[in-house]
Amino acid sequence: MGASILIVHPDRKTQRAVQRILGVTGYRIDIADDLDQAIRLLAHAQPVLIVVDGASVLGPQAGPFLAAAKAAGTEACMTLLGGPLGDQVPKLLGLGAVTNLLVHPMPVLAEELTITAHKLIRGDLFGLEKYLLWGTELHALTLTRASQRADQVARLAEQVRSLGQSARVASMAMLVTDELLSNAVHNAPVDAAGEHYRKDLPRDRELELDAQHQVHMRWGCDARYLAIEVTDAWGTLDRDTILGALAKTDVRDSGGGAGMGVALAYRSCDHLVFNLAPGQRTQVIAMIDVRYPPAERVPASSYNIFVERTP
Amino acid sequence: MPEAHGRMTVVTERAGVLQIGGALDETSGLVELVGRAVEHELVLDLGGVTFINSLGVRDWIRMQAAATKAGVHLEMRKVSEPVVHQLNMIVATRGTGSVSSFYAPYACDACGREESRLIDAVANAAALQKMEAPPMVCPECSQPMAFNDFPERFFSFLATS
Repeated sequence: MGASILIVHPDRKTQRAVQRILGVTGYRIDIADDLDQAIRLLAHAQPVLIVVDGASVLGPQAGPFLAAAKAAGTEACMTLLGGPLGDQVPKLLGLGAVTNLLVHPMPVLAEELTITAHKLIRGDLFGLEKYLLWGTELHALTLTRASQRADQVARLAEQVRSLGQSARVASMAMLVTDELLSNAVHNAPVDAAGEHYRKDLPRDRELELDAQHQVHMRWGCDARYLAIEVTDAWGTLDRDTILGALAKTDVRDSGGGAGMGVALAYRSCDHLVFNLAPGQRTQVIAMIDVRYPPAERVPASSYNIFVERTP
Repeated sequence: MPEAHGRMTVVTERAGVLQIGGALDETSGLVELVGRAVEHELVLDLGGVTFINSLGVRDWIRMQAAATKAGVHLEMRKVSEPVVHQLNMIVATRGTGSVSSFYAPYACDACGREESRLIDAVANAAALQKMEAPPMVCPECSQPMAFNDFPERFFSFLATS
C-alpha cells in the first residue's frame, strides 16, 4: 500500500470535512472512528500525515496509537482540539512519538490544513510565502548588529500602520517580532560544546553579527494575515524547548533562554509555525489574523512544529 | 522636558506622579522609579507606553517587587493597551498596585471607527467586576460603540489589582 493520509475522528461530519480538504492532495484518505481502529489500519498503511481528534489522542490509547504511527513511519500528527489550547497543551507534551506536531483549535481552517499537508508531502517546509496569497509584497531585512533590533521593530510597526492596519495589530507585530529577533540574536548561537554563549549577555550590549550570526527577517500582509518570518543560521531551537514554553500557564515561569520569548510570541499571534533544521537553521513564522476584530476571533492560537528530514 | 531612560521617557507631572512613555525594554531601568515615591505613594501614568517586551516585563516585575519591599503603593493610571495585554498574559506583572484607569478597544458598528478609549476603573468598578464594558459613544458619528474584545479576557487583569 502506498503513502496515505489517516483521519481519526469519531464525528462523521468532521471526517467528511477533513477528507474533502485533504482529498485534493491526491493521497489516499483512510478514516478511523477511534484509536483502536486507527492502530489496526496503521499495521497496513504508511500515512504521511495523521489528523486526529484531540480528545481521543489525550486518552489512554494515545501511547499505543503513537507507537504504531511511529512504526508506520508517520512524520506528522495534526491534533484537532475542541476548545482553547491552554489546558490541553501540557498533555500534548507527551505526543513525542512523531517528528512534526501540529495543533489546531477547531474549526480547523481548510487553507491551513492544505498548506500543512503540502509542506509535509513535498518535504518543503521553509518560507512564509506558503501562508500568504500570491502576489503579496514581501519585505526583507537582515540584522547585522544587535542594536538594529529596536529600530527595525519600530519601523515594522510604522509600516504596518501605513498599510491601514490597526494599532492593535501593529502592537502585536512589534511584540512578536521583538521576541523572535531577540531569540535569534541571543539564544540561538551555540559554541562547540552546545553552550548558548550569548543568552545571558545584556540585551542592550552592541554585538556585530557576522554571516553566521546574522538574523534574517521577512514579513508581508495579504489582508488575511500579517505574517512575520525570522530565521537564524543555527538550528538550535528544539521541540522540547518550544513545547515547554507553550505549556507554561504563566509566562514568568519560562525562565531564561528562548522560553519566555516563544511564550509571549505564541500568546500574541494567531498561528505560530516553527520550521526546524537541526544544526542548520531555525525559522519561526508568526501570523496575526487581520480579518476580524478581536471580539470575533477565537481566543486560541494554533502552532505547528515541523522538523526537516535529514538527508 | 522628558527624561530618556533608553527608549522609555519619563516626565515628572508633579512629585510622586510620573508620565511614562515609549518602549519598556532592557534599557528602561524601571526599578529606579520606585525611589521617586512620595509618602509611600507612586503614581505611574502609562498612557504613553507603546510597547513592552519580555525584558521590559522582567524589569516591570522587579519594579513591583522593589515597591512592595519598600512599602510603596503603586497606582497605575491611563494604562495603555500594550501594557494591559501584558498584565493579562503575565499574572506576576500585576503586583500589588492598583489600576485607576486604562485604555480599552472600542469599535463603532455604524461607521467602522476603531479607537482606544479611556475607562475610569474606579467609577466603573461595579460594571467591570461583572465583566461589563462601560458604554461609549463614537466621536465621529455619535452612535454607540461596541467593546472590541472579549470582556472576560480583556478585563481579567483587574481581578487581582
